[in-house]
Amino acid sequence: MLSFDSHSPAETERFAEELASKLKGGDVLAFKGGLGAGKTTFVRGLARGLGSQSEVSSPTFALVHEYSCTPPLCHFDMYRIHTFDDLYSTGFFDYLDSGGILAVEWSENIDGALPPETITVTITSAGEEQRRIAVEGGEGRF
Amino acid sequence: MKILCLDTSAKTASAAVVEDNRILAESSVNTGLTHSQTVMPMMEGMLSAAKISLQEIDLLAVSHGPGSFTGIRIGIGAVKGMAQGLRKPCLGISTLEGLAYNYRGLDGFVCPVMDARCGQVYTALFQGKDGTVLRLREDEALPIAELETVLAELPEAVTLVGDGAELCFRTMNGKEKLRLAPPQMRLQRASSVGFAAEEMLKTASPLAPGDLMPVYLRLPQAERELLKKEGNAPQRKDDAHVGTGK
Repeated sequence: MLSFDSHSPAETERFAEELASKLKGGDVLAFKGGLGAGKTTFVRGLARGLGSQSEVSSPTFALVHEYSCTPPLCHFDMYRIHTFDDLYSTGFFDYLDSGGILAVEWSENIDGALPPETITVTITSAGEEQRRIAVEGGEGRF
Repeated sequence: MKILCLDTSAKTASAAVVEDNRILAESSVNTGLTHSQTVMPMMEGMLSAAKISLQEIDLLAVSHGPGSFTGIRIGIGAVKGMAQGLRKPCLGISTLEGLAYNYRGLDGFVCPVMDARCGQVYTALFQGKDGTVLRLREDEALPIAELETVLAELPEAVTLVGDGAELCFRTMNGKEKLRLAPPQMRLQRASSVGFAAEEMLKTASPLAPGDLMPVYLRLPQAERELLKKEGNAPQRKDDAHVGTGK
């Protein structure tokens, strides 16, 4: 397990940017952490680390944002996903086969559908701006 | 009657032209789920190599599901659009029936299975007999264990076809009555969709492009499976979307 104490959103973003170099196509990152934990900030760092110039925002309404980089980054928000049919119609299972990296916010909602080799990123608040970030899984890459 | 057929319901994208029980042209790509980029150039290339113009096509057939959500929409969208532009009728064929038609002409039970994820499959049951393909069970989504029970009751060997065939064969291993379709007969082929369409046209009328619709099968195990680990769901209040910037 890799753990990191962040003192600001900027630090979280930098941490994610560095982590991106250790990711490969097909990886699924499942985020855990409540509203305002910094999940989207983390994904913003990932996107930059993978070479995307796109603006990163939470896909609350679109459910999935795709950022063009190599490999492509697919950013999900499962906040409104409650059933298997919901999940199916986001195209989640197709994205799993697409060779891209999947970053999944509110992954708690789809726990039963995550592949066994999923990398879990848990972000816990430790103060106004402080966050503890724990990265688990990834077959010893981190 | 020339039928232009398309199947993009899973990882393979396949296009074909069939006419009176013959395959005039067929093309398949299985290198990743990029059907939105693949199918149009693939069809164009196939038609041009076969010197068949779109105007010669009498009907368009497409596998309408079940299968990949994105894939089915691409197939339906492509066929709908072309049929509309060409002012030709079209026809939707069950993906599973199309798979069973890979075995047309061979006797025996054929069970198409597509991986629906989380231990579930889209499946149906057919029997090849005297050159025809008889349907024994409707398309449905089932947990693999339930399908195993269904297949165990069959009096003879059954052949598994489709992208879930290997998964089921492995999960149900040790059952001597199971056969795994060889690679060249296992996955979607547009020509099989075309032959199923030819058969269907004997009793059914073709559709106007506007009436062609995807057929998604609902998965029975919905919510319980999704939230598998108990107490793991995020605490959610009805007003959580308000005032939090979410």
